[in-house]
Amino acid sequence: MVKITIDGRQVEVKEGMTILQAAESIGIEIPHLCFHPAFPPEGSCRLCLVEIEGRPKLELACSTIVQEGMTISTQSETVRQARRSVLEFLLAEHPLDCPICDKAGNCQLQDYYQEYGLFDSQFKENKERKSKKVALGKNLILDRERCILCTRCVRFLKEITRTGELGVFQRGLRSEIDYFPGQPVDNNYSGNLAELCPVGAITDKDFRFQTRSWFLQSGPSICPHCSRACSIYIDYHVGFPRVELDKYVYRIRARENPEINDYWICDFGRYNYAYLEKKRATKVLVRENGQAQEGDWDSQIERLVKKIKEFYLKKKTNRIGLVLHSALTNEELYLAKKIFQEDLPEVNIFLIDPPEGEGDNWLLTPSRTPNLKGLELIGLQPQKFPPEKPLTELEILIIFAYLPHGEDQYNQLRSLLEKSHFSVLFTAHQTALMNQVDVVFPTTLLAEKEGSVVNVEEKLQKFPAALTPPGTARSEREILLTLGRGLGINFSFYRQLKTPAAVFDQLSQDISYFRGSK
Amino acid sequence: MADKEKYLTKLFGLKNLHKIEVYLQNGGYEAAKKAIKTKKPQDILNEVKAANLRGRGGAGFPAGVKWGFVPQGVEKPKYLCVNADEGEPGTFKDKYIMSHNPHLLLEGIIITSYCVGIHQAFIYIRGEYEMIARRLEKAIEEATAKGFLGKNIFGSNFDLEVIVHRGAGAYICGEETALLESLEGKRGHPRLKPPFPASIGLFGCPTVINNVETIANIPFIMARGAEWFTQIGLPKDGGTRIFGVSGAVKKPGIYELPLGTSLRELIYNYAGGLPEGKKLKAVIPGGMSAPVLKADEIDIPLDFESLMKAGSMLGSGAVIVIDHETSMLDVLRVVSKFYAHESCGQCTPCRVGVAWINKIVQRIAAGGGQPGDLETITRLASAIKGKTLCPLGDAAAMPILAIVEKFKDELLDQIGSLKDN
Repeated sequence: MVKITIDGRQVEVKEGMTILQAAESIGIEIPHLCFHPAFPPEGSCRLCLVEIEGRPKLELACSTIVQEGMTISTQSETVRQARRSVLEFLLAEHPLDCPICDKAGNCQLQDYYQEYGLFDSQFKENKERKSKKVALGKNLILDRERCILCTRCVRFLKEITRTGELGVFQRGLRSEIDYFPGQPVDNNYSGNLAELCPVGAITDKDFRFQTRSWFLQSGPSICPHCSRACSIYIDYHVGFPRVELDKYVYRIRARENPEINDYWICDFGRYNYAYLEKKRATKVLVRENGQAQEGDWDSQIERLVKKIKEFYLKKKTNRIGLVLHSALTNEELYLAKKIFQEDLPEVNIFLIDPPEGEGDNWLLTPSRTPNLKGLELIGLQPQKFPPEKPLTELEILIIFAYLPHGEDQYNQLRSLLEKSHFSVLFTAHQTALMNQVDVVFPTTLLAEKEGSVVNVEEKLQKFPAALTPPGTARSEREILLTLGRGLGINFSFYRQLKTPAAVFDQLSQDISYFRGSK
Repeated sequence: MADKEKYLTKLFGLKNLHKIEVYLQNGGYEAAKKAIKTKKPQDILNEVKAANLRGRGGAGFPAGVKWGFVPQGVEKPKYLCVNADEGEPGTFKDKYIMSHNPHLLLEGIIITSYCVGIHQAFIYIRGEYEMIARRLEKAIEEATAKGFLGKNIFGSNFDLEVIVHRGAGAYICGEETALLESLEGKRGHPRLKPPFPASIGLFGCPTVINNVETIANIPFIMARGAEWFTQIGLPKDGGTRIFGVSGAVKKPGIYELPLGTSLRELIYNYAGGLPEGKKLKAVIPGGMSAPVLKADEIDIPLDFESLMKAGSMLGSGAVIVIDHETSMLDVLRVVSKFYAHESCGQCTPCRVGVAWINKIVQRIAAGGGQPGDLETITRLASAIKGKTLCPLGDAAAMPILAIVEKFKDELLDQIGSLKDN
């Protein structure tokens, strides 16, 4: 530990820390633009200069290591003046097109300028004109007038993806970011650049001009598109009174998680969010005499419970089939195990997941669901589908379907459906399967659930519900609890599991992996 | 100065000095041979430290101390980079040394490399010096043929390879860390310091970077000793400097003089004074980035300390003499245009600040001067000075501040008369 004084406060900080980190650790923010914790200090924006007693010049907070007895001032007039100057320089050649800039409201340059600004411009010269719409790759647009040359984008591609598509070209005031000839930024992590850019220089084609950042709310969640289960934010628009919007979710952003994805997510996870709104199942549908009619939750669940009970009493639960997938939370999978593997013996449990895709040897895994590991750890033992010994017929088939990656994997279910006397489908999306089942129940997606998953590296993540589910959709956790209680085999067990947290507590008592995790 | 005190340039009048035979006939490579055959590296380091040889590139950092920073006993290779980029406007001394006596530089490189334990040395030479680069390569060939370079030089078990690398024309590549980047094949952007090149330099290895003239001094310190060296010039600032005088003098050119010679003496005794009918207005004493001195400030000894006290610097020893007919606005225009053009663009104050000043100066020169312009220039230059990533910010801000401060009345007059027209 090293004793230092920052702004008159004596503190002990870890040896080897930079002044910026030391200040942050005690809640003092030092403005900075080029510095990003994922990279070594660059020292080019010059905004983080601070005063150190006994040093002739101001020093960089981002790169200067604290030393015993150092006395640092982050708010002296000299420091504030230096900050004002840097911001004045940055704004001198800046186009100030905030009113049409996607970054406005969420822009570090804007924020700092508000705090330190010299609001009457002294710049009487002509600003440099530069290209404002350079396509850097399939997802990105660069506005060179807004660029402050912090080179975060260049360094990300050099040091993180190691693809090195971008560089600084030209010199001095003519310096500009560009990609090397024939090498646009089309790697699977390109979307991170728009997030990484502290100003509105690199914008995302997908988000460009869609809305203003201050209309958006951010819900923490996890990315369901592969077994990495990266931490994300879902940015959604709550809408305006009397104005219908065509979109609810506007973008996905990386949520910092040093355990799993640092500051990044892949483009596959980032841009794959239309499924959250498109073709959602919103109503309970009941098929009678070939006609689908809207039904009601409670009576239809009751109907299902009665059917199951009937076969349970006849000791014919081997005539029940259950189809699961691994995009369910630990809590849901645990409840499914309790009901269909323990309360009801001999149920035929199948796992049908989306087909594997290509991985990228970094974050994206071949598996396209987030909780395959959780399913294993919980001890669900589903059979392969189709089973080796073909099933002759089933009395009840209960399908929990997962459709964001298409529905081809369910094609083989069709013959089984034909042979089932009573079938229900729990689905978040509309699908052709709906025409073949007796009851369709609308369910929620991971983004609308509170719960937890275990990723490919056996790392557990809990998350709250980020979005409001559409229509009458209910989470699988609620549905399974209703089933568990309704069957009455172990009523008191299910009665006490009122919240996802209560289910998790029960789960962690049962299975050692989950023990001790908060 | 008596000619006997010259040593660097003493032989420069000889015909074909750049050929190894002529250099050998005049005692060439004796110092290197003596060093490698009879001295331990530590003895050489002590000698150079005792001589207190200050760097001739501009900053004046003692060479021996710099070499001493290089960690010994590490597994990584160590490198020597000779800075022959000579980009400071007004400076042409290194060109003179390398073209007249390339073997002197090579001999200095051999001793330096042996002292620090270096087996590969680079001469980073500015791209425009193509002829000299060829001459250096030829000299390396000759020295290698004689066994002075290459494997087991002078019959010892010491190996040394020297490589000439031509720059591509950016002023910033004379800054030592930008030079390293450029040498590594990257864009010439200065590095953040620390770490200093002595510990992490070229290709991440310990590296010594010295100016051509600094290295050229080494064979003489080796041959004649530190005591001899400190007796020339000033006790703390020993040896001679090669001053390159240009501008309004009768005899512009190279003058090797002991440190401490007065600026007046250099201009009037050696460079022949100003041409007939011209009066002295100002002098830039150490390359364009050195703050300008007024005519009444030239009774000053030319050494690092004295010039620093006078608010300027000895820099690269390039003395630019300005006569009374030269407009200071023109001087300011040239200075600001040069630095705006040469700013690498990496850090904010230099990239935008210097360009902004240049825009104001060019506007003034075009007759569009406005009240408060000079104050704005001063304010902006002060916001650059001491706050940039590398010394280029200071190099731009300091001369601009000095011109505006010392010649404010003249500049104001010119702003007024330009507007009237």
